[in-house]
Amino acid sequence: MMQPPKTDSTVAMKAGDTLLSVRNLNKHFPIKDGILQKVVGQVRAVDGVSFDIRRGETVGLVGESGCGKTTLSQCVAGLTDPTSGEILFNTGQGSQLGDGDRIDKLPKDRYRTFRRNVQMVFQDNFASLNPRQLVVDIIGRPLKVYREASGSDLTERVVALLEQVGLGRQHLYRYPHQFSGGQRQRISIARALALDPELIILDEPTSALDVSVQAQILNLLGDLQKERQLAYLFVTHDLGVVRHMADRMITMYLGKVVEQGPTETVFQQPAHPYTEALLAAKPDLADDPDKPFALLEGTIPDPARPPLGCRFHTRCPRVTPSCGWEIDDIVRFLEADESLFQSLQGVERRSARDADLIFKDPASAVALQEAMKSSSVPEAMRAATERLTVEGSRLRATFSEVDEVQLTERGPEHFAACKLDHLSR
Amino acid sequence: MTSNLEGTEPPVIAEVRDLRVHFGSKRGRVHAVDGVGFQIRDGEMLGLVGETGCGKSVTGRAFLNLIPQPPAIIAGGEVLFRPRGGAACPACAGSGCHACGQTGGETLDLLKLPQDRMRQIRGARIAMIFQDPGKALNPTLTIGVQMAEVFLQHKSDELLQDAGISADDRNLAANALRRIAHQEDRWLDRRLKRFPPLRQAAGRIQQALDARVAAALAETQIANPLRVMRAYPHELSGGMRQRVMIAQALACDPDLIIADEPTTALDVTIQARILELIKTLQERHRTAVLYISHDLSLVRKVCDRVAVMYAGRVAEVGTVSDVFSNPRHPYTQGLLAAVPRAGARRGHLASIPGSVPELVNPTPGCRFADRCSQVMPACTQLDPVLGSVGEGHSVACFLEHPPHAGAAKIEKALTE
Repeated sequence: MMQPPKTDSTVAMKAGDTLLSVRNLNKHFPIKDGILQKVVGQVRAVDGVSFDIRRGETVGLVGESGCGKTTLSQCVAGLTDPTSGEILFNTGQGSQLGDGDRIDKLPKDRYRTFRRNVQMVFQDNFASLNPRQLVVDIIGRPLKVYREASGSDLTERVVALLEQVGLGRQHLYRYPHQFSGGQRQRISIARALALDPELIILDEPTSALDVSVQAQILNLLGDLQKERQLAYLFVTHDLGVVRHMADRMITMYLGKVVEQGPTETVFQQPAHPYTEALLAAKPDLADDPDKPFALLEGTIPDPARPPLGCRFHTRCPRVTPSCGWEIDDIVRFLEADESLFQSLQGVERRSARDADLIFKDPASAVALQEAMKSSSVPEAMRAATERLTVEGSRLRATFSEVDEVQLTERGPEHFAACKLDHLSR
Repeated sequence: MTSNLEGTEPPVIAEVRDLRVHFGSKRGRVHAVDGVGFQIRDGEMLGLVGETGCGKSVTGRAFLNLIPQPPAIIAGGEVLFRPRGGAACPACAGSGCHACGQTGGETLDLLKLPQDRMRQIRGARIAMIFQDPGKALNPTLTIGVQMAEVFLQHKSDELLQDAGISADDRNLAANALRRIAHQEDRWLDRRLKRFPPLRQAAGRIQQALDARVAAALAETQIANPLRVMRAYPHELSGGMRQRVMIAQALACDPDLIIADEPTTALDVTIQARILELIKTLQERHRTAVLYISHDLSLVRKVCDRVAVMYAGRVAEVGTVSDVFSNPRHPYTQGLLAAVPRAGARRGHLASIPGSVPELVNPTPGCRFADRCSQVMPACTQLDPVLGSVGEGHSVACFLEHPPHAGAAKIEKALTE
């Protein structure tokens, strides 16, 4: 077995206290256009996210592709710099996390402590293991960088790590391509464990693996957590895995947290329609096989122009008039109608909720007005329409103003960002 | 969920018999598919599940003769297919005999069919939905153009009729148009196309073609088919691309669709919609579907019957309810126990120890023997064969069928 490495963070600590805290984190990517590469917009990949990770717990982060979960995990690992917001990490200086623990302001030696205590396991183990290095070099590298071991001591440490993940001495001098997918993921985990970290960020660690291999890896992660008091940030889109692994889970949609809470509570009583839809879309072997799929309309909107109000309102099956209807919803509705969309010439916006839509001919404007009053648009959208007047070939539409949705408390440690107080079933 | 509502079994539309596909490699012959056999009945959805490398995709591709040779070597077996409304069976002249499965239709061995016959079947009678629509669609053509290829290839006579050119017209213009519709146009035809009256007739063909493409797209619930037809694949989202693939597969109303992991590249919410779509279209057209997947919970949800494959062989076949509620093969049991599910939280998942064996020059015996918890001496010496354990439920395992049950087979195996 490995000797416990002596780091600042191994000073006495009680399990359960906050290890890492993310506060109002934003990561925006600029969209550049033209010869001068002028910034014309921002993709808000992560938009005002806050959460805590405690020592020894597993936090699941779920959402569809493009919801910002990978960007968020990279910010937490210190691999990209957030646009704004704070990430605080307990480097063992005091019990309360404060401004001095911001990872972008840490002095050099404490930053090294942070880096060695937060490790990452990537999804694609083909890309994350150097094909030209031997396993002993891959796993031994963190130990060399931090001057933990050298020479035969290093080899012994690597062997100990390999044995912990279910491999052995015979694998030391092999290249990554000589291993199967599950074994390569074990090597990735051994590398992450080398410096005895406190937090491991697992970015879809099993999505490329078969079920039986996935079970082996999940069991290994569970054992290691028990043995070493590890905290995991488990990024995945597989809800079955989250339910099996996570103590708490966070659901993200278009860069925002829509729900967070203890896993079992969220699974049994989801408080956000998006979480509810995600849970219903994934069949479980324990379900009744004849239960119909709960289907979600449409696709994720463009993250460069996220919908106002609740970002999920364009697809939500439980949408209300106060969910943030806007002019872009009319444009999305028009895109599905070939003839009306062709005759649309422009949109003159007074604000995001008040605009003139200019058509080629008055008939199209009247046709849209009729459509907007009929059942072809959601009832909630009709109820939210304050003004819908036609002047010649211009249609003026105004929607009522609503407040932003905030995360509100729904139970112990259970938060959701939805206008509805509870979801009736 | 069962397909035989009237009590009569629908006819077997396709059958794989003892299929063996090997791949040549530096280290020897890889027995990727080694004696696979199952039947697909008309209008049913058969799930083919197994882990990576068990040969399920190769089996699926054998139906379309899409296995590249070399490196593959088809070492034996048959892939039989009976198209609906095909020619009469040569053995019994349509009255129904054992050779044609009482259908009276002709039986084709897809592996021995000449290339031009295969071209007529591929896309028209058997279609395929590929795993990654981003790779399967041509990035340089618009959706409308690549969808049109299906109709030009298989439905050009109907297109000509829609455009008002009957099969009896044999004048210069009609022949030129016929060549255009059959994609056999020469440079002269392309020149001629510019002059009336050919231009008008060619326009009518194009219109008929566009109408068919739009109708096919509309059937997969694409909201705005005309806009999608003008778009290139990269302009569409993953779910939309998969809808286009499904529209393309269903365009000629095939008898059998091979769906090779159609939702693996998609998000859960989109996946649910695509599955629902495949299921409703399959029920509407009464098409048989071979649904290849590694996701057990999805197969349980959408399929009627399921075949579990392991290391190039079928381990267990049966109805979905039988196999999932009462798995008889240790591999199926292990696979089902390895899926995290509600209720069994935070404990240890039962994982199958070890990993999939290498299929280079395998020794006789059950392929699962070295990972099996209930291994017996016979398992490492003899090949288990599929044997019935209930109505329509078969398992290849000596636990169910002790070796002495098939004495002749063992003697043969021992003497060889």
